[in-house]
Amino acid sequence: MTTSARPLVELKNLSVDYHGDRGWSRAVDDVSLEIANGEALGLAGESGSGKTTVAYALMGERRGASRIGGGQVLFKGREIFGLSPSELTALRGRSIGFVPQNPMASLTPSMKVGGQVAEMLRFHQVAVPQGMSSRVVELLDAVGIPNPAAAAQRYPHELSGGQQQRVAIAMALACRPDLVILDEPTTGLDVTTQKLILELLAQLKRETGVSMLYVSHDLASLSQICERVAVMQKGRLLEVADSRTLFEKPQHDYTRRLIASIPRIDAPPADRLEPLPVNARTPLLEVDGLSVSYARSGFFGFRAPPPGSDTVKSVSFNVGRGETFALIGESGSGKSSIARAVAGLTAPRAGTIRFNGEPLPALARHRSLALRQKIQIIFQNPDSSLNPRKTVRSILARPLRMFGKLDSAEREARVIELLKAVRLDPAYADRRPHQLSGGERQRVAIARALAADPELIICDEILSALDVSVQASIIRLLETLQRERGLTYLFISHDLAVVRWFAREIGVLRQGAFCELGDTETTLSAPSSPYTIQLLDAVPRIGAAPVPPASSP
Amino acid sequence: MSTTELAAGSDKARVTRRGIRLSAAGWLGGAIILVYVLVALTGSLWAPYEAAKILTGAPFEGASLAHPFGTDNLGRDVFSRVVLGTRPVLTMTFAATLLAVVAGGLIGVVLGYLRNWVDEVGMRIVDIVISIPTLVLALLIISAVGNSLWLVVVTVAFLFTPRVARVARAATLNVVTNDYISAALARGESTLSICLREILPNITGIMLVEFAIRSAFAIIFIGSLGFLGFGAPPPTPEWGLMINEARANASNSLWPVLAPAAAMAVLVIGINLFADSLSRLIDRQGQNAATEAK
Repeated sequence: MTTSARPLVELKNLSVDYHGDRGWSRAVDDVSLEIANGEALGLAGESGSGKTTVAYALMGERRGASRIGGGQVLFKGREIFGLSPSELTALRGRSIGFVPQNPMASLTPSMKVGGQVAEMLRFHQVAVPQGMSSRVVELLDAVGIPNPAAAAQRYPHELSGGQQQRVAIAMALACRPDLVILDEPTTGLDVTTQKLILELLAQLKRETGVSMLYVSHDLASLSQICERVAVMQKGRLLEVADSRTLFEKPQHDYTRRLIASIPRIDAPPADRLEPLPVNARTPLLEVDGLSVSYARSGFFGFRAPPPGSDTVKSVSFNVGRGETFALIGESGSGKSSIARAVAGLTAPRAGTIRFNGEPLPALARHRSLALRQKIQIIFQNPDSSLNPRKTVRSILARPLRMFGKLDSAEREARVIELLKAVRLDPAYADRRPHQLSGGERQRVAIARALAADPELIICDEILSALDVSVQASIIRLLETLQRERGLTYLFISHDLAVVRWFAREIGVLRQGAFCELGDTETTLSAPSSPYTIQLLDAVPRIGAAPVPPASSP
Repeated sequence: MSTTELAAGSDKARVTRRGIRLSAAGWLGGAIILVYVLVALTGSLWAPYEAAKILTGAPFEGASLAHPFGTDNLGRDVFSRVVLGTRPVLTMTFAATLLAVVAGGLIGVVLGYLRNWVDEVGMRIVDIVISIPTLVLALLIISAVGNSLWLVVVTVAFLFTPRVARVARAATLNVVTNDYISAALARGESTLSICLREILPNITGIMLVEFAIRSAFAIIFIGSLGFLGFGAPPPTPEWGLMINEARANASNSLWPVLAPAAAMAVLVIGINLFADSLSRLIDRQGQNAATEAK
C-alpha cells in the first residue's frame, strides 16, 4: 500500500462542546490525531471519554446540541466542517464508511439486506459493471456470509447478530471508501463471534488497503487489529502510540491502570486477594435435572410443551457454601434461565432445586420470607434494575423493611452502612440512579442484594454493562464481601477471563447443557470439550500478534 | 385548583431539580389555564350581574361598558354568564377527567402488569366500549338515567376510562420489562405493591399529559352535551347550553353565541398548548435520563 506524504485524516486541536442541563461542557478537548493511508488507528477510552464524539466529528456529524469549540478536521486536506450539506452527504458512505455498534438498530428491519447494500451503491451512483445483484452477492461474500445469494433475500432479523454486523460492514465497504469508522463493532457480540469479526476486519484491511478508525473500550481487541492506538480520558487525548509499545511501555498512568484492569486469562490480577481455603464442601445450592422451557404450552396450557423445546436441558450442579460457581456461556446458552429459575422468576419445567437441603418452591411468591431473604439476585444492567423514580435510600430501605424488623432510625443507619460496604459515599442516599455512573449504580444494586442479608447471591452478567476498570473494582468488591460475610455466589458470565481467577468451580453451558463442569483451575488448564477450547481461544489476548490470516472458512 | 396546580406543582419540582423549562407556548397555555382557574374561583365576587338575572338591560344589546359582551334574548348580561359559567365547566371537567384517569390508570397498569387471560378479557371489554360512538352512548345513558350535573360527570368519566386505560397499559408495557420489576418479584412483593410502588411512579409523567389532553376533550364533550340539551339544566350558565339557547336568535345578536364559544375555544387551546409542552418536557427528560445512563 502506498503511503502518501499527506495523512488521510488530520484532526487539529479539535474541541467539541455539548449543551447539557448545566450549560456548555467540553466533551472533546484539544485533540490532534492523524490517520495515514491504509492505517488502522484504535481509539480507546471508557464511556464518557469523548471517543465516539471524535469518531462522529470525522464524518462532519455534530450530535444533538453540540458545537465545535475549535480546531479543524481535515479529510484528504479538505476541511470537513466547511463542506455544504450536499458535499457531506456525498462524502459519507462514499468516502467514509461507518459501522455502528448495534447492527440491529442500524439495519432497516423491513428491507431485505441485499436491498440495503444495493441502496448504498445506488444512492452514491457507483458504477456497477457486473450488475447490481451480483455486486451485492460479491460484497456479502467478501464479508464471509455463507450462501450470500440466499442471504441477500433475507430480512435483518433472520440473520444472527454476527451476520448482521457483517452486513453492516459490507454496507460500509460497498462504495470502496478511503476510511471506515467502526464504533464498538463487536461490543454486543459473543466472544467467538467477536473473534471472527476481528479476523474479517484484519483480512479486509489487508485486501482493500482501507484506513480504519476503530473505536472501542476493549484494548485487547484494539491491539489485535490496529497499528497505533490512541487513548482518551475525559475528552483529552492522553497518548498515541504504536500498539505494541503502548502495551509494553505505557507512558501515562491512566493507560497503565487501564491495561492492568483488563482481565487476563493467562495471569492473575495484580491485586488478587488470597484464594479462599478449601473447606470440606457442604453444598448450599443443589440443582438437579433442571429444565426450563419458554415454549407456549398449547391452548390455555392444557397440553404439555413439545419435547426438545427446552432452553435448559436437564442441568445438574452444586454450589458449595461460601464458594463461587461460575456459569459460562454465550447468548442463548440458557445461563440466565438457570439464574431466573433459582431466583424464582421462572418456573422450571422439570427438576428440583434444593437450598440448604430443602427443596425450593418454583416461584418466589410461593417461597417463605426467609428463603426469599437468603437468595438474592443482581441483574446485568443497573439502568434497568434500579427504579429511576426512587432515591438510593428508598431502593435500599425496601428490602430492609420487608426482611428486617428495624425502626426507621435503625434502617437509616443500615442504609449508610450498606453504602459504605459497597464503597459508596453515604451522601449518595439522596440521589437517584440517573445521577450515578454505571459502576456506582451496579454498586447500589449489590447493596440492595446485601440489604436482605442473603446467603446466596445470583450475579447475572453483572459486569457486561460496565467499563473494564469498573469491572475489576466490582470483582474486587465481590471478593471482599465474600470474605467478610461468607457469601456464596452463582456467577453468570460470558467472559472466561473474568471468571478464571474468581470462581472456584465453573460450568460451561452450550445450548442449554453443560459441556464442561468442574474445578476452574483444572477445567481451564486442560479443557476436554472442543467448545471450551474454542471459547478459550477466542478470548482476546493483549500483545498477541494481529489476528493470523483467516484460513478457516 | 385542579389541572394547573397538579401539573404546575410537579413542573416546578422539575424546574428546580433539573433546570428544565417549559417552552414559551407551554407557559402561555399554563397562563391561560391559570386565568380561567382564577376567574372560576373569584368570578362570583366581581361578576357585574347574577347569572340568571333577566332584563339587566334591553334584550340583544350590543357591547357597551355596562354589558361588555352585550345581552341575550332575556336581557341577561352575557359577560356575567360567561364568567360565572367558568366554575361549573371547570368543576365538571376536572371531576370527570380525574375520575377517568384514576380509574383508567389503575385498570391499565394492573392489566399491563398481569398480561394474562385477565388482561385479554379486560382489553376486549375496553375495545367494545371504545368502539361505540361516545356521543351516542352518552345520550343513551343520560336519557335512560336522568339529567343532572353529576350524572354528566360520571358518564363522561365512564366514556374516557377505557381510553385512558389503553394509554396506561401501553405505558406499563414499557416499564414491566425492566429488571427492577423482576427484582421486586424475586423479593416476593404483591401485585398491588408492584403496580403502585414500582410501575406507577414511572408512568406519572405520561398520565399527567393524558390528564391534560383528556380534560381538553372533556370540555368540548361536556359542551356538546350541554348544546344538545343533555348537560346542565337551563338556568345554569354552562357554555354549551348558552350557545344552544342563543343559536336561534343569532340573527339578532351574535354576542351570546360567540362569547361562550370563544371562552371555550381559548381554554381548550390553552390546555392543548400546555399539554403539548408538558409531553415534550417529559420526552426530553426521558432522553436525558437515557443519555446520562450511557
